[in-house]
Amino acid sequence: MDRRAVPAKIGWAVFLERLTATDARLGVAVAGLGLLAGGLVAALAGGSPLGLFRALLQAATGWDAARQVWNIRYVGEWLAVATPLILTGLSMGFAARAGLFNIGAEGQYIAGLTAAQFAALYLPPVPVLHAFLCVAAALAAGAVWGGLAGWLKARFGASEVVATIMLNYLAFYLSRWLTQAIPGATTYRTPAIPASAQLDAGFLKTLSGGSNLGWGFFAALGAALLFWWLLERTRMGYALRASGLNPDAAMAGGINPGRVGIFAMCLAGAFAGLAGASVALGSFNHGRVLSEFDNYGFMGIAVALAGGARGFGVAAAGLFFGLLASAQTLMQGQGIPRELAVIVSGIVVILLSMKAGLGALAGRLGGSAVGAPCDARPEPGEGNGG
Amino acid sequence: MTIRTICVFAALMTIASCGGPGKADDPSDVTSRLMTDATGIDDESFSAAGWKGMLAYYGDSWDNPEGKGRLYDWITVPSHDLFVPSLKQVSDQGYGLVIVSGFMWDTALAEVAPLYPGQKYLIIDVKWLDGPNIMQASFAEHEGSYLVGLAAALKARADGIATPRFGFIGGVPGRVITRFEMGWIQGIRSVYPDAGFVDYYANAWNKPELAKAQARAWYDSGVYAIFSAAGATGNGTIAQAKEYRLSGRNVWAVGVDGDQHRAGVYADGKSAVLTSMLKRVDRATEYALRSVRDGSFEGRVYEFGAANGGVDFAVSNPELGDAIVAAVNAAKAGIIDGSVVVVPGYAEAKSLGLAPDGLMARDD
Repeated sequence: MDRRAVPAKIGWAVFLERLTATDARLGVAVAGLGLLAGGLVAALAGGSPLGLFRALLQAATGWDAARQVWNIRYVGEWLAVATPLILTGLSMGFAARAGLFNIGAEGQYIAGLTAAQFAALYLPPVPVLHAFLCVAAALAAGAVWGGLAGWLKARFGASEVVATIMLNYLAFYLSRWLTQAIPGATTYRTPAIPASAQLDAGFLKTLSGGSNLGWGFFAALGAALLFWWLLERTRMGYALRASGLNPDAAMAGGINPGRVGIFAMCLAGAFAGLAGASVALGSFNHGRVLSEFDNYGFMGIAVALAGGARGFGVAAAGLFFGLLASAQTLMQGQGIPRELAVIVSGIVVILLSMKAGLGALAGRLGGSAVGAPCDARPEPGEGNGG
Repeated sequence: MTIRTICVFAALMTIASCGGPGKADDPSDVTSRLMTDATGIDDESFSAAGWKGMLAYYGDSWDNPEGKGRLYDWITVPSHDLFVPSLKQVSDQGYGLVIVSGFMWDTALAEVAPLYPGQKYLIIDVKWLDGPNIMQASFAEHEGSYLVGLAAALKARADGIATPRFGFIGGVPGRVITRFEMGWIQGIRSVYPDAGFVDYYANAWNKPELAKAQARAWYDSGVYAIFSAAGATGNGTIAQAKEYRLSGRNVWAVGVDGDQHRAGVYADGKSAVLTSMLKRVDRATEYALRSVRDGSFEGRVYEFGAANGGVDFAVSNPELGDAIVAAVNAAKAGIIDGSVVVVPGYAEAKSLGLAPDGLMARDD
C-alpha cells in the first residue's frame, strides 16, 4: 500500500496512520500505550509509575536500577516464563486461523503435562532420548485432546467452544485421578522425575546465570516457525485458512471442512501439549497433582489475540506477556499492586481489538479511506505474514 | 479469645521483647517479605495469620499497615512453576527475612536457600528441610483439635445427649489435615468412647457450597457438631449451622485457624461457632522476625504446640460455659505435662484403637 499519496495536512493523523499501517508497528505502539496506561493506574493506586518501569526494565535486561546491579538470570527467567505463553498462544491462534475458537488450550496443556509426567516417571531414563519421548508423549496427548473436540464437531456438529470448555474440566480431574494413582504419589505431588527427562540445558543455565531457561524456549520458537510454514507454505495450511475465512466457499472448492477442523484442532492441541511439557519438565523436578488450573491455556487466548494469530506475532506477544508475568514479583516488591500486570495485559488486548477502528480513524483524519485490516482471524497474506 | 486473654498475650510479649535492662533494638532493623500462592493474605487462614504476626512485630495493624512496602510487604506468586524464579528474585533484594507460607513451597525453598546462604528464610507447616538458613515452623494441630473435640463433646453431654454423632470436613486430604481430624476424634472419644463419627473431604479449599450441602445432610441425620479444617470451604459448614440454629435446632460448627466466632453470629450475641481451634501462625512469624533481630535465628524446626501457645481453643462463645472451659484447660495442661497424649497420624490412631476404620484421612 502506498502511503505517500496521503496529504500531510494533519501531522498526527499521518502519524496515527503510519502507526496502524502494519500489525507489527501497531502491536508495538499498543504495547507501549498499555504500559503507559499501566503507569497511570500504578500512580492512581498509590504506587510509583517509575517502580513499574524499573521492574519491567529489570525483568527484561536484568539491570536493577535501584541497587545498580546487573544479573543476566532475569533475562533467562523472562524467556522461560514466556515459553508456555507463546505455545498456548500458538494453540489458540492456529485454531482461530481455521475459524475455530479453541477455549481448550488449558485442557490440552494439562493433557500434555500429565503425559509428560507419566513418560518421565515410567520410561527408561536414557539420556536425551528420555526427554524426547516425554515431549513426544505430551505432543501426542495434547493432539488427541484437541483432536477430540475437532472430531466431535466434524462428526456430530458439536460446538468446539462448548466441547473444549468441558474437555478442560475433564482433563483436569482425569489428570488428578491418574496422577494420584501413581505409586508413591501424595495428594499433591509424585516422586521425583529423573534428570534425563528434564528439559534443562547445562550450558543455557550457565549462560543465563542459573535461570530456569531450557530447551523449552527453543521448542517454542521452533513451533512458531512451524506455525508459519504450515499455514503459509503448505496445501493443508491453505485449506485451513480457506475454511477459516469462508467454510462454504472452501467446501465448494473441494475442501473437507471436517477434516481440516480435526487437523487444526490436533495441531492446536499439540502446541498446548508442548506448553504442558515445557512446564512439567522445565520448572519442576517432581510431577504435580494439579490443585487448580495453571491458567496458561486461558492466557493463551489473550496472547493469540495480541499476536494477531500469526506465528511471529504470537511469539512476540508471548514475550510481552511473559515480561509482564516475570515482572510481577518485582512490581509487588516496588509496592505496586499485583493486579497491575493483569490490568496492563487487559488494556493491551482491548486496544489491539480496537485496531480496525483506529485504522479507520486514521484514514478519516488523513482524508483517505485506509482501514487496517485486523482481527483475531486475519485474511491470508495480509500484514507482515506468518 | 477474649479481650482479656489478648491483653495478657500482648503484655507477655511486650515483656518478653523488652525484658531486662536496655531496651531491645528498633524492629525496623529487620526488613521482611511474605510470599504466598495466588490467594494472598486474604485466605482467612494461615497466610492471613502470618501477615498478622508481621504486623504485630512492626507494631502496625491490619487496617493501617504503616511500614508496608518500606519495611515489610507480601508478594503473591500466580502459579507454582513461578515459585523458584520469584523466590530468587525476592532473595536478590536482600531482606532480613523471607517468609514462605505453606508446604507447597518446600521444594522451591530447598532449591533456592542454598544459593543464598546469607538470606534467612522461614517456612510454615514444613519440618523436613535442611539448611542453616531455613527456620521451619511446624504446628501440633492435633493438640488444638483435641481441645475443640473435647469442648464439643462436653457440650453435648451438658445438653444431655446420650449418643451424639460428630462430623469432620477436610480440604485436600494429606498428613496436615489428618492431624486436625485425629485430634478432633480423640478429644470426642475421651468423653464418648463410642461416639458416631463421619468425615468428608471437599478436595478444595474454596468450595463452601460443598461443605454446606454435606453439613446439611449430616445435621439432618442427627450430627451434633462439625469441625471443618478446609480453609474457605469450611465457611459452608458455619453458614449451615447458622441457618439451623436460627430455626431453633441444637447443632454446632467448630472453626479453625483463627477465631471464627464472628463469622457464626446469627442473632444478637449468639454464634453458631461453639469454639475454634486456633493455629497461631502469627506467633511463628513474629518469633522468627524477633530472632533475626536479636541474632538468635537458627536453621531448625520449631514446633508450635499447646505448650508454647502455638495451638489453642477459642473461648469467645459464652454458651461454652465456664465449666467446659475449665475442663478443656485442664486437658490442655495435661497435654503440656504429658499426661494426655494425642497421636497425629491415622495409621497410629487406628492401631491404638483411637480412630475407627474407613475414614478418608491420609498419612502422606
